[in-house]
Amino acid sequence: MRRLRIITLPYLVWMVVLVLVPTLLILLLSVTNLDIYNIGPFSFVTEGFEELTKPLVITAMKNSVRLSLLATLICFLIGYPTAYFLANLKTSKKTMLITLFILPVWSNMLLRIIAWETLFFPNSILNMFGISLNLIGTDVAILIGMTSMYLPFMTLPLYSVLEKMDHSLIEASKDLGASNMQTFLKVTLPLSLSGVVSGVIMTLLPSMTAFALPERLSGGKTLLIGNIIEDYFMKTSNINGGAMISIALMVVIIVLFMVVVHFDKEGETLI
Amino acid sequence: MRTKLVEISGLTKSFDDVEVLKDIHLYINENEFVTLLGPSGCGKTTLLRLIAGFEYADAGVITFDGRVLEELPPNKRAINTVFQKYALFPHLNVYENIAFGLKMKKMPKEDINKEVTSVLKLVKLEGFEGRNIKTLSGGQQQRVAIARAVVNKPKLLLLDEPLGALDLKLRQEMQYELKEMQRALGISFVFVTHDQEEALTMSDTVVVMNDGIIQQIGTPIDIYNEPENRFTANFIGESNIIDGVMHKDFLVEFEGVMFECVDEGFDQLENVDIVIRPEDIELKIDAGKINGVVDAITFKGVHYEIIVMVNDKEYIIHSTDPKEVGDKVSLHFEPEDIHVMVKSNA
Repeated sequence: MRRLRIITLPYLVWMVVLVLVPTLLILLLSVTNLDIYNIGPFSFVTEGFEELTKPLVITAMKNSVRLSLLATLICFLIGYPTAYFLANLKTSKKTMLITLFILPVWSNMLLRIIAWETLFFPNSILNMFGISLNLIGTDVAILIGMTSMYLPFMTLPLYSVLEKMDHSLIEASKDLGASNMQTFLKVTLPLSLSGVVSGVIMTLLPSMTAFALPERLSGGKTLLIGNIIEDYFMKTSNINGGAMISIALMVVIIVLFMVVVHFDKEGETLI
Repeated sequence: MRTKLVEISGLTKSFDDVEVLKDIHLYINENEFVTLLGPSGCGKTTLLRLIAGFEYADAGVITFDGRVLEELPPNKRAINTVFQKYALFPHLNVYENIAFGLKMKKMPKEDINKEVTSVLKLVKLEGFEGRNIKTLSGGQQQRVAIARAVVNKPKLLLLDEPLGALDLKLRQEMQYELKEMQRALGISFVFVTHDQEEALTMSDTVVVMNDGIIQQIGTPIDIYNEPENRFTANFIGESNIIDGVMHKDFLVEFEGVMFECVDEGFDQLENVDIVIRPEDIELKIDAGKINGVVDAITFKGVHYEIIVMVNDKEYIIHSTDPKEVGDKVSLHFEPEDIHVMVKSNA
């Protein structure tokens, strides 16, 4: 036990300095009048809560929840069959195919967002083929962007859990009279649930907090909660309001995760 | 005359250009306990998987209950399997595991209840319905695996080395229980094992396999007493295999001495392999037809294993009567203890 404590020390320091302290600071900022120009004595205020009732904030929060849940669903619908296919491949090219799937993650995300952006403008390189997408500002643009960014994070945990699955369980199911579909629904899917939960968390979390992606792909038309928080901190310097919305976002994410984890009886996932 | 449940003819199967089954011909009767016995890699598990439907043959036909099996996917065959590592569903409890097959058949709930309760009684696991699979011991998991298979009332139960993971005591107990169960259920079992004792204890018929070829099919007593070739003689129990020459019917020569035997039908002066089981040889102190010197002696519990050197060749003898290393002894055996086999190229 003692040895364990020593080797976990770097992680503990990391978590305290870079996660716990900042989170407490945000919490403090959200309910006090402390800001850049007032780091001295402070008092507790309730004005922050008013920010949460503003129509713009509520709309942005709704947009974020709706679009990230949709993006997560799309990622699942594409990611699961892909992971299933890859996991059941018998070839030695498996590793190469997986690498191809992870490869996009290695390139800068902002760069990939801008690449999509240029394709979504009415005038783009696609005009060469007589195509003009003109998607900037639509939900479709944001969903395509989110899906392409976060799909590998959905596919990989699913792949790893499907790949590890004991193939004799599938054979046992068929041996007991289950069709392919029944085997999938009664055996494969329930046993890959931990991967589903991991994948959902890995996709939902960055989608909910995204701000660069909607900013570039929405052309300012669709506001997500990430953009609002960015504006509060960077443009209007309303640090207390931004902190309050951040806390609200955290609460929404925690509630979403609790719903997800509810389905994960085994508790074999990340949280 | 018993009816044939399974008929296998000309079955051939390769994986990546390696032939694992070569022209297999075999039939299984109704209510018969058949064991596929052989070393690992001999093709016995592949043969089982072909019957179950998890693999498809390159050539040959398996008929089951009068139907060609290849036309049926595994979920449509009245055959169930007990897997080597049990393959119990970890997300289901004992009851749900056993009920799985019945639910697939859309059996009414009350009937499922009745069947599961009665099969749990058969495998002596009453009261385990709600238990998590992970909390069961190896022996209990094994019983659940058997229950999950037999509850479907298959005509044929396939068992892929189901006792391999159990300790000796439990294994012997399960051998007996499986045999009892097969009698009680009145269905055919195909049991795969590399353990010759297991095969001899439980089977009606033993199929000895090696290198994808059936070496011998027979009752345990036939297989043990009349091995047809060097492989079977070596694999089933311990044997002394000696080069010999058949002079005429009932007369064989080995170690430079003529012996009366009970075998016939060989060519004159045909080279043969002679098998004499270690327990069939008696050692005497006086000089006899074959003489040697005791080289080593090991206590094995019920008997001593005595190695005797005869003309620079080792003979293994099992005897309850100990000897000293260096004792000059002679080897004695009866004509019926001499088993003459066609010479194998080994």
